[in-house]
Amino acid sequence: MSLDLAFLLRVLIFPGLTFILFLTMFCDWVERKIEARMQNRMGPTYTGPAGVFQPFADFIKLLTKEDIVPFNVRDFVFRLAPILSFSIFAFAFVFLPIDGVSVVSNSNFEGDLVLVLTLVSIANFFLFLSGWSSINPYSATGAARVLTQFLGYDIPLFILALAPAFLAKSLSISKIAASQFIPFAFVVPWVFVLFIITLQAELEKDPFDIPHAETEIVGGYETEYTGRRLAFLKLSKDVQIVLGAAIAVELFLGGPHGPVFYGPSAFWCTLWFVLKLLVVIVLTEYLTCVFARLRIDQALVINWKLILPLSLLSLVAAVGVGLWLYPLR
Amino acid sequence: MNTDKILEALSNALGDGILQTRTLRPEKVCVQVKVGAHRDAVKVLLNQDGNAGISAITGVDLGKTIELMYHIRTCNTIITISVNLTKENAKIESIADLIPGANFHEREVSDLFGVTFEGHPNPGRLILPEDWPENVFPLRKDFVALNFQSKMENSEALKDNGRHSIDERLVNIVFGPQHPALIEPEKFTLKVDGEVVKEVKPRIGYVHRGIEKAAENRTYLQDIYLVERICGICNACHAACFCQTVEAIMGVDVPPRARYLRTIILELNRIHSHMLLLGHAGFEIGYETLFHYMWRDRERVLDITEELTGNRIVASFITIGGVRRDLKEDVISRINAELETLKGRMNFYRQLFEGDSTLKMRTKNVGILSRQDALRLCVVGPVARGSGVDMDVRRDEPYAAYNEVPFKVITYDEGDSWARLMVRLDEIVESINIIQYALEHLPSGPYRVRVPRIVPAGEAIGRVEAPRGELFYYVKSNGTASPERVKVRTPTFANILAFVKIAEGGNIADVPASFVSLDPCFSCTDR
Repeated sequence: MSLDLAFLLRVLIFPGLTFILFLTMFCDWVERKIEARMQNRMGPTYTGPAGVFQPFADFIKLLTKEDIVPFNVRDFVFRLAPILSFSIFAFAFVFLPIDGVSVVSNSNFEGDLVLVLTLVSIANFFLFLSGWSSINPYSATGAARVLTQFLGYDIPLFILALAPAFLAKSLSISKIAASQFIPFAFVVPWVFVLFIITLQAELEKDPFDIPHAETEIVGGYETEYTGRRLAFLKLSKDVQIVLGAAIAVELFLGGPHGPVFYGPSAFWCTLWFVLKLLVVIVLTEYLTCVFARLRIDQALVINWKLILPLSLLSLVAAVGVGLWLYPLR
Repeated sequence: MNTDKILEALSNALGDGILQTRTLRPEKVCVQVKVGAHRDAVKVLLNQDGNAGISAITGVDLGKTIELMYHIRTCNTIITISVNLTKENAKIESIADLIPGANFHEREVSDLFGVTFEGHPNPGRLILPEDWPENVFPLRKDFVALNFQSKMENSEALKDNGRHSIDERLVNIVFGPQHPALIEPEKFTLKVDGEVVKEVKPRIGYVHRGIEKAAENRTYLQDIYLVERICGICNACHAACFCQTVEAIMGVDVPPRARYLRTIILELNRIHSHMLLLGHAGFEIGYETLFHYMWRDRERVLDITEELTGNRIVASFITIGGVRRDLKEDVISRINAELETLKGRMNFYRQLFEGDSTLKMRTKNVGILSRQDALRLCVVGPVARGSGVDMDVRRDEPYAAYNEVPFKVITYDEGDSWARLMVRLDEIVESINIIQYALEHLPSGPYRVRVPRIVPAGEAIGRVEAPRGELFYYVKSNGTASPERVKVRTPTFANILAFVKIAEGGNIADVPASFVSLDPCFSCTDR
């Protein structure tokens, strides 16, 4: 079987694994810097210009640390969970058009939106397993909270993701992104707002950073992790944030599509994609800064009594808008 | 006068149970009663006033006997009931059933003096390690320092904290001694059913430094610096309380300028402590922005403290007979400007605490301590005022210049975490007003009087409203340069029982939020 070079390059370098890793690190830095500035402090400063290499430094530092597998943990799951959660999140990027087309040509198909959302759920389940396999009350509580929170918030996330799919008349992420002459965030802003709020819960950010509330349950599910396993858990959290923001970009902000000026369209698409990604990240970071953490029961009440009915209603309203835009023949 | 009426009631109730009456300076009555009559005496005192409670229990080693003093807070003063126990038969009936707030006080005396309290609901070690040798009591005078190394792995306490309790549904979550929510080492074992806390077992004493014992071996002057180190945050309160207690024994009058300067540094301490707590509360409920904003504004208070005393945290400002530095005229305007800015910021924080929805969701109706419970458990300071107990030593028994400075006592009736935080927020504004008034009306004259190093024999008690509540000192002098006994009851020691009360039945996520609203300080508690 012949592996062609272009395929390998696209998977491993750009816009595949390496690009996504660098993008994740960069977004992590942006997040930390913006949060710091909003909170009246400096943020990363010393490593590289304005501390831009701080996430790399942190990652490398964790890789060099002693790797401890505590006595009595479920060994296999404990070792597997960080790797799997990271790989699944990274794998989901394959279906996102970053430079205009998806990472591997023809990897996108009608219905990959459902696949990507399912992958996110599965990866979250591995985060849960990572906590469940460590024999530690803090991890167990954190893991239980992961499951309770994600199971609840996955439902409105799916429902809300259907609205752009309906407007684009497709379940393929690239088609949804390509069909937005006006970004759906402006066509159906209420869906976008709800989607961002639900995303906060999915990404464990304030006011929903309940599974790793350090003042209550120390590190949550990652309490027992050290060294490179912790590095990968942290990395998978960061990739998850970028992935969540990227899905929001593809579904609501027109994905990588934007005006192409001079030169290769891949450059401009990537640029637009990263810029839109940063917009979403700044938005989530703003929400993180202005809210206190909710309690798990309050988060659930908000989900089942508020977000879920509202997302159903907003889906209905989006369908109405869709019918008005494209009348049934 | 109030005291006479109380004494009359006491003699009516006890008859010949009263052995003698003496005066603890300044003008505090101490009634010595027979062993066994102390319960009736305490009952009479508690019935005098709806807000009555117990401030402290002091033990003093008198050689052959141990004197126990029950300091009862009633009718805006302290009445002391004293009982003499022989060392051979150091047993006495517990009063914890009359007033549950006496629980910890009795356990402390039992640890340090070897007095057995019969009928105590949960006796056991509170301060000493579990494997501390029997019949060695550190605060007795015949105690010789021993080379003790705790081997806690053999102890019952550790076994008790096994991760899974016998009841399978309940999981033990150990909150401390090392935990991100707690900056200081103390341990709360929470029995948790799902997310609901069923039982709380407190354990303190991890950083007990034996300051009360150390104070007996140092001169009074050295003791000022020692007691300042009991608590870094409210250090000036400790110094003020110790100094005014010693001044009461010596009969020294502090010059008016020093009294005003003391008021200023005490209020600065209060602002700094309250801001620290409010920011920390933000951190505990996951509101990090509030934490960073609050602590940045707190820097202003530290700057003012530095202008006034030369130090940022541990002020070393107050000394016996006055203060150690004078305030220069040109500093006053700078301090005023900073205070004005701070006042503006406080308005902003007030809006935030009243308006922010997630903050209110986490603190309103959380950790409710009813007024009745607050009185029963004898809580002090903002915790009591948040539950509607109108109590403030600054007003009830003015010290420093508080009798000349107008101020309001802030109370909230809700009794939840939010109310306790709001009390502190409003008190900051009130403190700023006090400082500004004091700066404006600062009398001229000397800022200290020289006092002899030898203190005449005598005993006195002093109270100061520290940021966390009533701070209580008892000092006994034997006519030499170092004290015979120094008793310190810090505010947090009185407030821990309230935490057990409000945590039980609550959600585990509420534990840090309600805990921090009590503003616990464990280096104070452990001394």
